[in-house]
Amino acid sequence: MICQRCHNEASVHLTERVDGERRELHLCVDCAREGALRSPDSPPDLGLESVVQGLILQHVGGLVGELAELACPDCGTRYMDYWSDGRLGCPQDYRVFTKGLLPSIQRYQGATRHVGKTARLRPAAVHRLRLRSQLREAVAREDYEEAARLRDQIRLKDKHA
Amino acid sequence: MTLDDLTRTSGEWLRGAGPESDIVMCSRIRLARNLADFPFTNRASRNEKAEIEGHFKSALENAGIEAGYFDVNGMSNLDRQFLLERQLISNEMSTGEGPRGVAVTPKENIAIMVNEEDHLRIQYMLSGFRLPQVWDEITALDDQLEDDIAYAYSSSLGYLTACPTNVGTGIRVGVMVHLPGLVANKEIDKVFRALQKINLAVRGFYGEGSQAFGDFYQISNQQTLGKSEEELIKILTDVVPQVLQYERKARQDLITGRRQHLHDQVSRAYGVLKTAQTISSEETMFLLSSVRMGINLGLIDDLSIAVVNELFIQTQPAHLQKLRGSELGVEERNVARASYLRSRLTNGRPVEDG
Repeated sequence: MICQRCHNEASVHLTERVDGERRELHLCVDCAREGALRSPDSPPDLGLESVVQGLILQHVGGLVGELAELACPDCGTRYMDYWSDGRLGCPQDYRVFTKGLLPSIQRYQGATRHVGKTARLRPAAVHRLRLRSQLREAVAREDYEEAARLRDQIRLKDKHA
Repeated sequence: MTLDDLTRTSGEWLRGAGPESDIVMCSRIRLARNLADFPFTNRASRNEKAEIEGHFKSALENAGIEAGYFDVNGMSNLDRQFLLERQLISNEMSTGEGPRGVAVTPKENIAIMVNEEDHLRIQYMLSGFRLPQVWDEITALDDQLEDDIAYAYSSSLGYLTACPTNVGTGIRVGVMVHLPGLVANKEIDKVFRALQKINLAVRGFYGEGSQAFGDFYQISNQQTLGKSEEELIKILTDVVPQVLQYERKARQDLITGRRQHLHDQVSRAYGVLKTAQTISSEETMFLLSSVRMGINLGLIDDLSIAVVNELFIQTQPAHLQKLRGSELGVEERNVARASYLRSRLTNGRPVEDG
């Protein structure tokens, strides 16, 4: 079994049943420790994720203050979300969560600096990511006029990409 | 190119060509890439996933790459299973949701998954032990796609991926090796532990979490950051020959120590495959593995490695059902598998070229 966060061998296994559906969490010792996951005696009425998040919050929250509740302005992902499913929400998360991510990247990768092939610089792309996030919000609040305006802007930037 | 076209051909990576192909079935490199202007797949809306698909298709067309695009979202479970068995998509792609698919070239050297964990998972496979050549091919392909796609990239962390375990080069360099000798002499776990100590992963035929299958294993890097693509490839090109040496020695020991016993085992395996009337997938893999080693040791001389390699894939459940053109239950599949094996092994005819 592989750790859901870092792909090392998992040795901490949590299982619970929510609405008849079996849910599992597998972590290696380091990731479990980092999440202050010492004993899996979760209260039965709480979802596994919220129990884990509570434990992480106690630990991470104490360590780095606002990091635990930090959210990415472009995709809305919270650092906590990353902690529970091991996946980031958008490329900007690496910048937003740098403090939290670098120690675990160092642990898993043994490095924190890229060496090798480089990509071409495309500065307009980051603007489009921001515009798309505004577009999602406009659609969510049914502001279709604003959504249409944002779509045009994205298209314009696409042309100049 | 349609899925039905694929049922009549087989991938170049099964041809049994290239260096060390008695043990190394194929060399494979995968690059994880994301579009800089979209959230990662798990956060992208349906519309955004459809846009990503659209961008990718036009980049592929502009690059002039002749490939079929298979829409995994609108596909039956059987067809998904078929692509999975062929190593063209992952389990995650098969069970995912929303707009997603895979672009495949006619010889199946290239397979590019769209909207898997990362927006793009670019795969290049060649038969035999040829990692540097695979790298030359895939990096050129990556450059071509980048003409039209803005990749998510940071100068300090490299290519940005949905999971930080792939960040940096985004590269997975691997070989698929056939190790029946090391399985037989029970040294296999020792070899795996040694590989894990130097940070290489060992997985089964169908990747993460899959059971070893016909004594095939995939060896690949785990680290993706802090070493260049060439350095990561070099780790594999340095280490894999040692594994090959152990496997060759194990095979030699088997044949010098108990030649008659081994010859008997291989011949019986071949005999069962040629004559069985009903046979399970597990038994087929087990016997094909024996036959494959037998060919390499000169104990069977009327069958090619390429046919055996193909049979590992083509006797899988979804392949049998696609060949038959209908869904089959387990018992029916076992009968269909035996019948297919008899026809392939008595004629020894290879499938037509891709």
